[in-house]
Amino acid sequence: MSSGRSTQSPVIGRQQKEESGSENEGRKSDGESSYCSSNDLEPEWLDDIQKNGELFYLELSEGEEDLALTRANAHQQVSTNHVRFSEKEAEILTEQHKKQHSNSRAKGTATLKRLAKILRRKRRSTLRKGKDVPASILKNQSGQRHGGTVQKQLKEVCVYLNPKRLSALSVPLFEDGGLLEALLGVIHRPSWDSDGMRREDRLTIHGLVPNTPAAKCGDILIGDVLVAMDDVDVNSENIERVLSCIPGPTQVRLTLETLVPVDNAGADDAFEARRMKSSPPVSQLVRLLWGEDTAELQMSIEHIPHIVMYLSLKLDSASPQDEEEILYQYPVSEASRQLKGVRGIFLTLCDMLENVTGGQILSSSLLLGKHLVHVGYWKENNNLLVIGLPAERVPLLYLQTVMGDVVRTLKVMYSSLDSAFLEADHTPRLDHFFCLFFQQLIQPSRLREGHPVPPMDTSGTLFLDGLPAVRWLTLPPEIKMEVDTVLSDFESSDFGEMSEDYFGLRRMYVILGSCLFYKSYLIANHLPKEDLLDVSLYCQHYLLLPLSWEQRVGQLVVWREVFPQQRATAAPGFNTPQGRYFLLIVGLRHFMQCVLLEAGGCASPAVGCPGPDSIYVDQVKATLLQLEELEGGIEERLSAPPAPCLSCADWFLPSSSSSSSSSARERLDSLASSSPVLSKLVKSSSSPGYRGRSLFGERSRRPSPQRSLSDSGSEGPEGGVGLGTSRTRGFSPHSSQDSGRRIGARRDSLGSGGSEGSGGSGGLFKSPRKHPNPFHLGTLKKTLTERETDDMYNMKLSSGPDNTLFHFLLMDSVRGVFIAPSHRDVSLLSGSIHPQLITNFHHCCLSIRHAFRQSLPAKGRRGSGRPQSGGWGLGPVKEHGVLFQCTPPNWTDQKKPPPTMTYWVIGRMLLEPIPQEFYVCFHDSVPEVPVEMAFRLSFGLNL
Amino acid sequence: MMLQDGPVQLLCLTANSGVPLFTRGSSKPLPFSVIGSLNGVHMFGGGQGVSLLSCGTGGGGKVVWRVFKDSVMLIAVSGGQRSESSLTEEELYLQRLLDNVWGCMVLVLGQDEIVTLRNVERLKRDLRACFSLIDLLLEERQQSIMGNLTHCADSLLPPNPALLQEAMAGFAQAADSECGCLVIHGRIAAATEKWCHLMPQEVVLLLALIKTLSKSGSSSCDYPVFLPQTSPTVALRLLRFQLLPGADVCVLCGPTPSLHRAESQLLCQFWSPLVDSLRDCLAIGERCLPPSVTQRQDVLSLMLINRETHRSFSCVRAPSHQPDPVLPSRARCWELLKLFYIFSVTRYFHQEDSPFEEQTRSSSDDFLQGFSHQPQQCYLVTEECKCYGLQTSQHQLFLLLPLSVPTFALRSVANQTLSQIVTSTGF
Repeated sequence: MSSGRSTQSPVIGRQQKEESGSENEGRKSDGESSYCSSNDLEPEWLDDIQKNGELFYLELSEGEEDLALTRANAHQQVSTNHVRFSEKEAEILTEQHKKQHSNSRAKGTATLKRLAKILRRKRRSTLRKGKDVPASILKNQSGQRHGGTVQKQLKEVCVYLNPKRLSALSVPLFEDGGLLEALLGVIHRPSWDSDGMRREDRLTIHGLVPNTPAAKCGDILIGDVLVAMDDVDVNSENIERVLSCIPGPTQVRLTLETLVPVDNAGADDAFEARRMKSSPPVSQLVRLLWGEDTAELQMSIEHIPHIVMYLSLKLDSASPQDEEEILYQYPVSEASRQLKGVRGIFLTLCDMLENVTGGQILSSSLLLGKHLVHVGYWKENNNLLVIGLPAERVPLLYLQTVMGDVVRTLKVMYSSLDSAFLEADHTPRLDHFFCLFFQQLIQPSRLREGHPVPPMDTSGTLFLDGLPAVRWLTLPPEIKMEVDTVLSDFESSDFGEMSEDYFGLRRMYVILGSCLFYKSYLIANHLPKEDLLDVSLYCQHYLLLPLSWEQRVGQLVVWREVFPQQRATAAPGFNTPQGRYFLLIVGLRHFMQCVLLEAGGCASPAVGCPGPDSIYVDQVKATLLQLEELEGGIEERLSAPPAPCLSCADWFLPSSSSSSSSSARERLDSLASSSPVLSKLVKSSSSPGYRGRSLFGERSRRPSPQRSLSDSGSEGPEGGVGLGTSRTRGFSPHSSQDSGRRIGARRDSLGSGGSEGSGGSGGLFKSPRKHPNPFHLGTLKKTLTERETDDMYNMKLSSGPDNTLFHFLLMDSVRGVFIAPSHRDVSLLSGSIHPQLITNFHHCCLSIRHAFRQSLPAKGRRGSGRPQSGGWGLGPVKEHGVLFQCTPPNWTDQKKPPPTMTYWVIGRMLLEPIPQEFYVCFHDSVPEVPVEMAFRLSFGLNL
Repeated sequence: MMLQDGPVQLLCLTANSGVPLFTRGSSKPLPFSVIGSLNGVHMFGGGQGVSLLSCGTGGGGKVVWRVFKDSVMLIAVSGGQRSESSLTEEELYLQRLLDNVWGCMVLVLGQDEIVTLRNVERLKRDLRACFSLIDLLLEERQQSIMGNLTHCADSLLPPNPALLQEAMAGFAQAADSECGCLVIHGRIAAATEKWCHLMPQEVVLLLALIKTLSKSGSSSCDYPVFLPQTSPTVALRLLRFQLLPGADVCVLCGPTPSLHRAESQLLCQFWSPLVDSLRDCLAIGERCLPPSVTQRQDVLSLMLINRETHRSFSCVRAPSHQPDPVLPSRARCWELLKLFYIFSVTRYFHQEDSPFEEQTRSSSDDFLQGFSHQPQQCYLVTEECKCYGLQTSQHQLFLLLPLSVPTFALRSVANQTLSQIVTSTGF
């Protein structure tokens, strides 16, 4: 069914109940086309816009498999439901899968018209997709259902209810629905007999109110009957009383009677499987983003002390009110009690130490029982931001980075700390902000439970999020060009409704630039670096990047005023227009586009708190729809073998049992045969001439994609067993003599003596073979044929006969992007040791990067001659490496000592020609020159 | 306004009442109000079940609090001038300093007198006796002694160890003592077996004490000492004799023999035949290695720690005269070596634990434990030199090399140096 691709069945049926006379028929699920809106002028996110114009609207769609299953089920059982229930009740429609309903057809058509109108200006293909796909859904649904029987079953669903929300909503209670509708979000319409008597007191669920616990939980289906709540039998008479007894936020267990088909065993199984799979219907991450369930998550880290406080340094002694100096605090729980109690320490230290040591206080360490807590400080005006974090999560080395990032994110969102914390109505939003902050730092794995993203350790999160850069995905040039063109088209604002001529008015916003993420990778960026960092900090903080990695973003619309840091502090001599800036983020499935808009300046000034303009949102959506065409190409790139090739740490260690050893070998073989690159790399020669040329693509030796490992094995024994020998080498600890000899050989092969190897990149360029300057690809790129560029992706980073590279990361500080092996590459290499190695790599990088940062302020001093003794520590660090040793876990053989494997983690900072930081992890069998590896990498990926 | 710049200032107060006992280290002591607040914040936290350990400020300032035996609070304040990022490194230095200062106080006064705090005024007076030792520790930063930092006794490898060892053993036995050692330029050249079993920190402190005593110019002295860990309440006698300028011999003994008897009878008997050997030792000077051990020319300075015997030796080879403009100066080499040591042990290598059990969790511990695999070696390339650190089960080696040595050769240089020294001296 062609509709399967571009349409998404939403998990949540959002109901627009007031819009049509017949309530039950008005049930409709939006987003069956991701573009659909409930009527011509009102997009579905309209109700979510807050008073200050901000919007965070997130709607999930189920994965495609689920969709298919759903559809299969829909054909088999749903119609039965329909028939049976319509006998008994007025109009129970089978909303089990929340397909759209008959009367939405008219609306759908209206939407389609509008969609078509917008898309007409776009390319043909988009038009085609937009036109026929939703239409097919409309046709397909009703007719083709065939019979089957259903049986009733009881199921239990837990939902989280918060009565306090009702008051916050400040919306009068739904007149007829009462608490059931307002609190739980379940719509129940009592049926009446002809004589006006209530016929039934069973609580049949007739509908769900969007954005309520019942709707979000995803397991409460329309047509279910609510039987009990926390084991208390409920019916339409006592439900209001039961609900009103809930004093505060709590989780309740609902018992529901539901209908399960029994006619077709296969479908039944599939259905059950689907139910099982979606048993946590929505991931923690999304629930957190929706702002629900925070109490439970917060509870689980209660035993770990942490706190954020915004304290006033101006103590008014006249009013001896208690806790007056606390302007903001989170969390209000046991976790923060002790730290809150000693806020006097923070205030005193901040006040006093400046006079003692001449510097603002940055951090302090406290011991709370057994917990070591680091406290970071940030002083702004007369107020002090204090964040306490457990030391085992955030090492002191990185506390400053974490503080800096939080403060910057807050400033981007609220322009200053004062304006963020001092306004009372920001409090719930800040609570959410810091809930996300602590959850990410303290239990990052919890948020990503059951996700395809490999669970990230704390060090990894810390390191990657702390980098002033965004993860970049290099795309094949033709796709990249297409993407850029589409983005540029959009940014030119050259579409009817946005052009000034169209309405004869000044346009509302000028598009300053946008950037595009695909599955959490940045694939195109048309923003200045600092703006990109601001945007990505926001996305990181709100976990939008991991979110888009999943399959499930049906629609994401974020709109808010932002205060880009670069623009706020304008450079002298250059006056940026006094405009206001707005960030619009629109996500559709795996794509997410962030647009920075400016009001004022050339566009009309913004008045008040404007909400998102649907024209702009629609335009971004249209752009994303247009880009979906390229999804295939991008996916192909993502599933391509990692370039440069990676090895798995486990391959270098013999396994404790022979079976797993052989399986590792098989795995290697299969990998090698599946990827021509690996087999090529396995046998790549170590002769210097070859290596020199291989950078530019060795056409004569380029293997065909079909060539397998065995093929290459027959070619030369050395190459074929390349990885095999490396494994045996892993057995013996490295002897120094051996390494010395090899180093010598390496020196010769490099053709460069003395210090040039790593002392500076100069050595590479001085060697007799003439290398073109890798950083000025301009002319070179033009001459490369497509095939050669293709070859460049298939490069190997390490030298020597084996591929010894485990992991790498290259950060370009000028563009604010970094590249690293994709999540998929890493998960492909899963073994017992490799994940540990990655964790270790990230942990070590924290230290290396910290050593580098030390040298950044020293850059100004370079001109001032030699450092004074007793001056500033070790001085600027250019390169730093650590050698690690590991042994296989649970080594069973008692007779022999466990084998060891050693590997390097090396960081290198390059200041010229462009500042770059390069981190690499490789097996220790071949001495590498990191600067050379960085060179190969940045060249080969033409970052 | 900046009250504390550069050198470290040390504050000592009674833990319960906050009465200042002494301050050392700066020509301009902190005002009383500041001292009071520094003490106050810590006490306040203590009342809430929170103990404040340390604090870092911009510009590299650092304040570290420690309470010893619930009776004495030591606060070290170091001013700015260093880059911000060296905060963790600075913390280790200050922690070690506080350990040593407390050790000194016990060494000189005995634990009982300090802990009981019967008479604060008298204690204040008595504590003056340790000022010279504390001052030495505070200014030790500039010197070529690493023991304060590493808590491993600085040693010197004499050209003829057996001869000196024999004389030392004989001398100690004759003096009714099991602990004795020969100190050359503040480093241990020979020691009895029992001496080696003292706690490493005690040895370091005794060496510092011998240094202050020999600075006083007397040729011999009899000094009562308490050993902070092995004998914190019972005093022993430390007999020290100057053999030659720069060469001292000392023994720890009980009531006998008298200083006079030991000096007049034993000294000549055991040491006069060895004057030439002693002169040879003195000639080695700061090189610490006998001339027989050939060393690579391109090693600027090195430190080798034996993790089992808790002894270390270190040397700087940079020429003191006609400094090479490309290479760091001699003083800078010492400093770099210390900094690199701190850098390595706060991040990667195992460090000697603080001997005092209370509040020993330093902020770097958690970082070290975060590694899932064991770090073995590490190197740094800075603008001045290259540093290489290596850890085996028995040794830790720290090397400083000039920039002209290629990075990929560092490892073999380090391995070579280690095996050369270990095989030729058995260190």
